[in-house]
Amino acid sequence: MTTSEGLVVRDLAVRFGGLVAVSGLSFEAPVGRLTGLIGPNGAGKTTTFNACCGLVKPSGGSVHLFGADASHMNPARRARLGMGRTFQRLELYDTLTVAENVRLGREAAISGQRLMGQLYSSPREHRDIERATAHAMELCDIEHLAQSPAGSLSTGQRRLVELARVLAGPYRLLLLDEPSSGLDSSESRRFGTILRRVMAERDIGILLVEHDMALVSSICEYVYVLDFGKPLFQGTMDEVLASEVVVEAYLGSGADLPAADDEEVLAGV
Amino acid sequence: MNILPFVVVGITSGSIYALAATGLVLTYKTSGIFNFAHGGVAAATAYAFFELHHHAGLPWPLAAALCVLVFGPLAGLGIELLARGLATATPTAKLVATIGLLLGIEGLAVVLYGSAAKDFPQFLPTATFKVAGVFVGIDQLIVVLVALVGVAGLFAFFRFTRIGVAMQGVVDSSDLLGLTGTNPTAVRRVAWMIGCSFAAVSGLLIAPSIGLDPLLLTLLVVQAYGAAAIGRFSSLPLTYVGGLVVGVGAALATRFTSGYLSLQGLPSSVPFLILFGVLLFRGRLLTEVGSQATRRIVTAARFTAGQRRLGIGAALAIAALIPSVVGTKIPVYTSALAFVVIFASLGLLVRTSGQLSLCHIGFAAVGAAAFAHLAQDHGLPWVLAVVAAGLVAIPVGAMVAIPAIRLSGLYLALASFGFGILLERLGYSRDVMFGINGALTAPRPSIAGGDTAYYYVVLAVLAVCLASMALIERSRLGRLLRALADSPLALSTAGTSVNVTRVLVFCLSAFFAGVGGALIGPVTGSINGTSFPSFASLILVAVLVIAGSGLMRSAVLAAAAFIVVPSYIENATFQEGLPAIFGLAAMLTAVASSGGFGAAGRLARWAQATAWRTRRSPVTERLRGLVPDEMLPTPADGRVAEGVLS
Repeated sequence: MTTSEGLVVRDLAVRFGGLVAVSGLSFEAPVGRLTGLIGPNGAGKTTTFNACCGLVKPSGGSVHLFGADASHMNPARRARLGMGRTFQRLELYDTLTVAENVRLGREAAISGQRLMGQLYSSPREHRDIERATAHAMELCDIEHLAQSPAGSLSTGQRRLVELARVLAGPYRLLLLDEPSSGLDSSESRRFGTILRRVMAERDIGILLVEHDMALVSSICEYVYVLDFGKPLFQGTMDEVLASEVVVEAYLGSGADLPAADDEEVLAGV
Repeated sequence: MNILPFVVVGITSGSIYALAATGLVLTYKTSGIFNFAHGGVAAATAYAFFELHHHAGLPWPLAAALCVLVFGPLAGLGIELLARGLATATPTAKLVATIGLLLGIEGLAVVLYGSAAKDFPQFLPTATFKVAGVFVGIDQLIVVLVALVGVAGLFAFFRFTRIGVAMQGVVDSSDLLGLTGTNPTAVRRVAWMIGCSFAAVSGLLIAPSIGLDPLLLTLLVVQAYGAAAIGRFSSLPLTYVGGLVVGVGAALATRFTSGYLSLQGLPSSVPFLILFGVLLFRGRLLTEVGSQATRRIVTAARFTAGQRRLGIGAALAIAALIPSVVGTKIPVYTSALAFVVIFASLGLLVRTSGQLSLCHIGFAAVGAAAFAHLAQDHGLPWVLAVVAAGLVAIPVGAMVAIPAIRLSGLYLALASFGFGILLERLGYSRDVMFGINGALTAPRPSIAGGDTAYYYVVLAVLAVCLASMALIERSRLGRLLRALADSPLALSTAGTSVNVTRVLVFCLSAFFAGVGGALIGPVTGSINGTSFPSFASLILVAVLVIAGSGLMRSAVLAAAAFIVVPSYIENATFQEGLPAIFGLAAMLTAVASSGGFGAAGRLARWAQATAWRTRRSPVTERLRGLVPDEMLPTPADGRVAEGVLS
């Protein structure tokens, strides 16, 4: 594993006014590994994500992408370096069809490369787009929804559409933000299966933020644990599950969760 | 010549702008709704005072008290209800709703009192005294004091009272504010009542100097936009200073431009120059509030390709038959066809890409003027002149898109509105546009001199324009534009330079609007600036919004409503009231589009959302168990906490 292959974050700090959301956080998400980032609510996971892809301005630290210093790049440039992401609160193009959504996963990246890319592309690029779209839809098993408007689908289907859209893009590193929230356990297992297949088929890296410990423990090879914006623990899945600090951090805030919020409860701990 | 008298006048009018602007900023900050109808409230108050004082004969202090303490707060309560119905609306729907309300109030005033200005005598004492060689009126002193006390009182209220502090936390995170035991709805209601009372005061104070003129009154508080921009739409003291800057700036501009005919539009444009400048150069400092909560309603039913072809065929057949049916009204229908092009180009911006332009009539005006110059003065072949008119409009569209690059939603709307007014006041009278004398000759193509023949020429141009726009919609750019409307966030994190996309759509839209404008002139043979009043841009947006969905269909329906329907109305009152109907209908459509009401189920949801006592939302209750207590925010850092939780 070389540090130039993938995402390398050093000493990241993010502050909102007086509130320190993340501080002193370093981690790596190399190509070829499914990396997990976990922590209780309010631990700063999504903030970390936003800082990685340029939506939040960090107050300190650096973000390197495939060897390039991306700390001051805008989101579009970081995406063009090869990083795609999904959102915890789904960000689909609701009025477009599923097929158009997935297709745009590829087209959006092309259109950012040059001005005319927003208008047309070469026949070769066209074939690329068609192939990537078809393959991503097949992977996520959403071909039968191709012509439905994305806004008319259930949350489970929408998660798959968003995954297919990012899989259609020319990315070598995917940031997936709580892909299982809003999914039931069978949908969540299916999601895990797709991710494992993607890892096996492609030379790609995935950084996964997740609550669902069943999903995390079944697919992640290496896990970083955050607590109140600070790194708490890091290691392989087995090491994390055996760690007393981690269990304590989780049970400390997890024990009094209302039972109604199944999706939020840390299943499997 | 001494400039001090102008400074005195400027400070007086600036104080009124400051009052209006602080009220505007207060309601915007707390509700996330930018109230375009703020000036409408001021105008309505002036008319109410006119009724109470001049007709009913109440003494002025009593009439003024009724206006400011009863009428203003009641208006505030009404707008708060509207704002609550818009809570989950898209930024565009929020803007359209208050623009619709503005059109409604302005139109009602025209219907009830006529469009001509009525005399509105100064009710304050007008005795003068002399300070430093300048005569100052008692009324001027009162105005300045009222503004100073009002703004200072509001500032203290914001700083030192509990509800004032709560107002600061209510916009971004009303759920979290609810957790701390403060009802966000009650906080907003107070803010709207105070804000509209400020509008009421400013309406009363400004009316004596400009008379009871429906358009001037509703738009004059638009000067407040400039003041609010200097206050970055958030700081009350800076907004007050902004009001004075706008007032004194306009007064000094009057002093220094008197005698230059070509500069006569400058003084009244000062607030818009300031607004445009602030948005352009200080745009990064502005943060838009309340723009996060959005929901787009997805229309499930789409027409099949066969149905669509049938519809286009039927529309073309009807359009081809119209000349043989309508007799002498052919020119009306020819204008309507030109406006279909303009509405479709506006739809490309508003509907397809979710960008709001409030200067669209300005693009058409540029096209119309360019066409007349090229076809008549330079003898360009007719078709080439039409295309060139569109091309000339492109850089103008790009000029509006420059602020749009960094700003979107509200600030884009304000910048484009300001740009449209600047263009009208400073651009129309230039020789490159319509000139000071006004009318330009706009020729028809040599093969189509007759009314019917020209109708078919316009129909052909329309068909080409609509076909091109349909192609754009289905192409990659079309997908990018629709994606831009749905989720700019997803688009930019996927690698698209959304700024380039925004500029492209503005240029395309300006091109087609320019072509549409070019087609209008030859209908009558001559064209001048009065055909393109900047205020009409607001009506265009309102009409387009009520014309339903679908780029082509809505453009046709909108043009029919905007051009054809009025030509069949004999009743002058009804005709004058039409913009009001368009405006109010657009307001209701905007609320309905956010799921506010419409079908019975939506009505119930709206009733729940607007119930006098709102219950805490289930989301709030869910947060309680999931968030560690120390993470719960105080009202002041609501925004901070939400960023962490999301």
